[in-house]
Amino acid sequence: MAAFVLRRLLWTLVLLVIVTFVTFLVFVQMPSADPAVLRAGRNATPEIVAALRDQFGLDQPWYVQYGKYVQHLVLHQDLGYSYQNNVSVGSEIVARLPVTLSVAIGSVLIWLAVGIPIGIISAVRRGRMSDRLLMIGALAAISAPAYWLGLVALYLLSKDIGVLPIFEGAGSYPSGGQSLFTAPAQVAPALVLPCLVLAASFAAIYARFVRASLSEVLAEDYIRTARAKGLRERTVVLKHGMRSTAVPIITLLGLDLGILLGGAILVEIVFNIPGMGRLSYEAIQRGDIPTIQGAVLLGAALIILLNLVVDVAQAVLDPRLRKARA
Amino acid sequence: MSLNVGRALGARKRSAAAAALVGAVAVLAGCGGSDSAGPAQTLANTPIAPVKGVPGGQATLLSAADVDSLDPGISDYNVGLMVLQATQRTLYAFAPDDATKVVPDLAKGLPKISDDGKTVTVTIRSGVRFAPPVDREVTSRDIKYAMERAFTKQVPSGYAASYFGSIVGVPKKPNAGDYQEISGIQTPDDHTLVLRLSKPDAGLVAQVLVKGITAPVPKEYARKFDQQNPSTYGEHVASTGAYMVERDASGKITGWEPGRELRLVRNPNWDPKTDFRPAYLDAVTIAGGNADSAVAARRTLSGQGFICCDAGSPPVELVRSAMARTPEQVKLFPARLTNWVALNTTIAPLDNLNVRRALMAGVNRSALRLPRGGPLMGDLATGYLPPGLQGYEEAGGAHQGADLDFNAHPEGDAEVAKKYMLAAKADGLPIDDQGIYTGDTKILAVAANSTPDNQTAEAFQAEAKKLGFDIELRLVPREVVFTNFCSTPAKKVAVCFLGFGSDTPDPYSMLVLPFDGRAIREEGNLNISQLNDPKVNAAIDKAASLSIGEGRLDAWADVDEQILEQAPAIPYVWTKKALVSSSDVQLVPNTYTTMPDLSFTSIRK
Repeated sequence: MAAFVLRRLLWTLVLLVIVTFVTFLVFVQMPSADPAVLRAGRNATPEIVAALRDQFGLDQPWYVQYGKYVQHLVLHQDLGYSYQNNVSVGSEIVARLPVTLSVAIGSVLIWLAVGIPIGIISAVRRGRMSDRLLMIGALAAISAPAYWLGLVALYLLSKDIGVLPIFEGAGSYPSGGQSLFTAPAQVAPALVLPCLVLAASFAAIYARFVRASLSEVLAEDYIRTARAKGLRERTVVLKHGMRSTAVPIITLLGLDLGILLGGAILVEIVFNIPGMGRLSYEAIQRGDIPTIQGAVLLGAALIILLNLVVDVAQAVLDPRLRKARA
Repeated sequence: MSLNVGRALGARKRSAAAAALVGAVAVLAGCGGSDSAGPAQTLANTPIAPVKGVPGGQATLLSAADVDSLDPGISDYNVGLMVLQATQRTLYAFAPDDATKVVPDLAKGLPKISDDGKTVTVTIRSGVRFAPPVDREVTSRDIKYAMERAFTKQVPSGYAASYFGSIVGVPKKPNAGDYQEISGIQTPDDHTLVLRLSKPDAGLVAQVLVKGITAPVPKEYARKFDQQNPSTYGEHVASTGAYMVERDASGKITGWEPGRELRLVRNPNWDPKTDFRPAYLDAVTIAGGNADSAVAARRTLSGQGFICCDAGSPPVELVRSAMARTPEQVKLFPARLTNWVALNTTIAPLDNLNVRRALMAGVNRSALRLPRGGPLMGDLATGYLPPGLQGYEEAGGAHQGADLDFNAHPEGDAEVAKKYMLAAKADGLPIDDQGIYTGDTKILAVAANSTPDNQTAEAFQAEAKKLGFDIELRLVPREVVFTNFCSTPAKKVAVCFLGFGSDTPDPYSMLVLPFDGRAIREEGNLNISQLNDPKVNAAIDKAASLSIGEGRLDAWADVDEQILEQAPAIPYVWTKKALVSSSDVQLVPNTYTTMPDLSFTSIRK
């Protein structure tokens, strides 16, 4: 197991180098806003822009620029400087990441808490009216884009502009860089509606997945044996049935956490939550390349590490995988 | 200067705002709606004069963007300018409802200009003090340092070299080196600032003493921050205005979370006797990240204590609805911005004057205005000088260029267009007897691939087609429209769409950068039309050399007329700006920044 984890960590480093390279090529070498122009501000003369290009090394060959970027990153853990917000990218990420993690954790809890029970109920009551109604609901949730669902939720359910003012709305997220980790009582009310919106489609997907997977498992011989032994149906389903369903769910969860970061961008914009998603969106809009690079690198690192965690968890849950990977 | 390069060479915020032109376009983004009020109809502005308020209370601005910087030497975008006006005292400023006349702010009176036009002398007001942690009275030396640091590489102001480049002793390569004293900025005593110029440029320099680099910076405090590159003074800025960014007891700024929130509180050292601003509010919060202006505007209109929005106006339908239901919650006023279609005078067939005049005559400009909100959000433009800018009235106001038949009917005049097309035929161009172009030359037009720019471009494509011109429309990401296409003459782009605004009250920058033939550059070119007409250039030189009392504005009006005669660009809308507020907010906009004036806005009791 240790060798497996070590091997994966080494691959993680290789992948991160590739990510930095691709990001650099996409945002620095492809046509985009010129960092020197951003730094110079409006009305800058071409001479000033040229001086700044020289100062930033933007007139040097791309491989020299890339080398310096990696050098600063590795030796000084320096992700660069945002010329849009006039602060270091590292400090921006440190301030924003806990906010996005708060959104992500809230959403994951909701979608697991809602999606898995619905899937179990549908699998157990397969073909009945309750199963059909739940699956129609799931289909609707999958079909609704997060951005649209967010706006509808705001106009319907938010306290400031909603028809039924139930939940806190856009702009209710507390200031001061708070997150679920530092001020849960203040942050949680502002996260209910955004997390519900972000979790909706995932919960629906998980409900359908659990339903399909559990239905198959419940038809297995060992389940029949368990029932024949006189075990209670709840034990059969939750202990024996769900154990086999858990491994693919964890695999799916690892992949979905990456997709979740993409969804967080939309939800953070709609609900004005100052997290990594909004930071990335604003950076892309303004061509703030150092911030874009920092955000992409962080996102990639998170996804890779989460997948590593998922692989380890799978191995722990399934001895066959452990043996295969050894 | 003006091309609000933030607003013109680019804009945004807004827009931003990548390249200057990109910025200007971003300012206009987000407008849409129907032209139901009629093609040529224009709608009145709302009253914007300051109203006496009641001290106290707090307000929150729902903004899409954050300040570009808190450093007065750098800040030059909408939100930044708004905060700058509330937190800093520049030598001169504007009353909120009149961006054509400067009023003394830190200065005690109007600047004195020497007879040879090479010296500007300003007397500084007594009793203005820096906020904590500096806590001392402002002197002329603080302004000298503020101006000098704006020429360093650590504080690239962007406009210092353009506006103040004629001061004796400025670095030969501005913003490329470290700090050095500038001999032409002199302080004979604590309350006198003298600017000595290398050429008779005092008329212009006196007009731009409203800019942020004239806000005092205490050298003994700022020097350590200015030695870093880039300078970190903005994160420790010392205010002189009625407000300052919230600080803790140690003096550390705690009220700014970049990209998220900025909290302004009263400056305890501010003395109202020294300021023309009433500063009613106790505190102001600028809440960033409100990217969806529809949501932000709805929250504002239905909530309490809110103001909306920053660079762009709220959606036009919301503005229209609010004006009908709660007009006291809407402020609609000229944005000092002209949108035009630039016609490249060096590319066939647009290199023919009669073709350009035919297009100017034939294009229905209300069709181009429609995607930007129709008559509610702007008057049809017939000249380049927008309302709210000096020289607008002298140029004929809303009837600029009305004596030119090809410019007299902005809704389009087919007969006049035909007349000029036939004249172009006489010049040898392939045009039939009906005045329709029959050549196979395609005209390359480049526009942003987002609304409203793409829709305006498509409307122009349809209008030009009526005269037989085949417009090859290339829609590209907003941030590269100018940097990669329109501002690079080698790209041979024939038609571009831009908004041009002025960040000074003077018409200089509005007309020189986009139309002075000597300003054409291989890269970063703002003269998109590449107009290089000796008569226009000479008229520009004449206007630039005059002071206000010598007929400067009449001379700029003459320049406007002469440029129109060459038809290098089709002006189609003088854009308006809309701001909305909650019912308890007595909002006062500032026509210079086109943002709320935080020092005049108040809470209704």
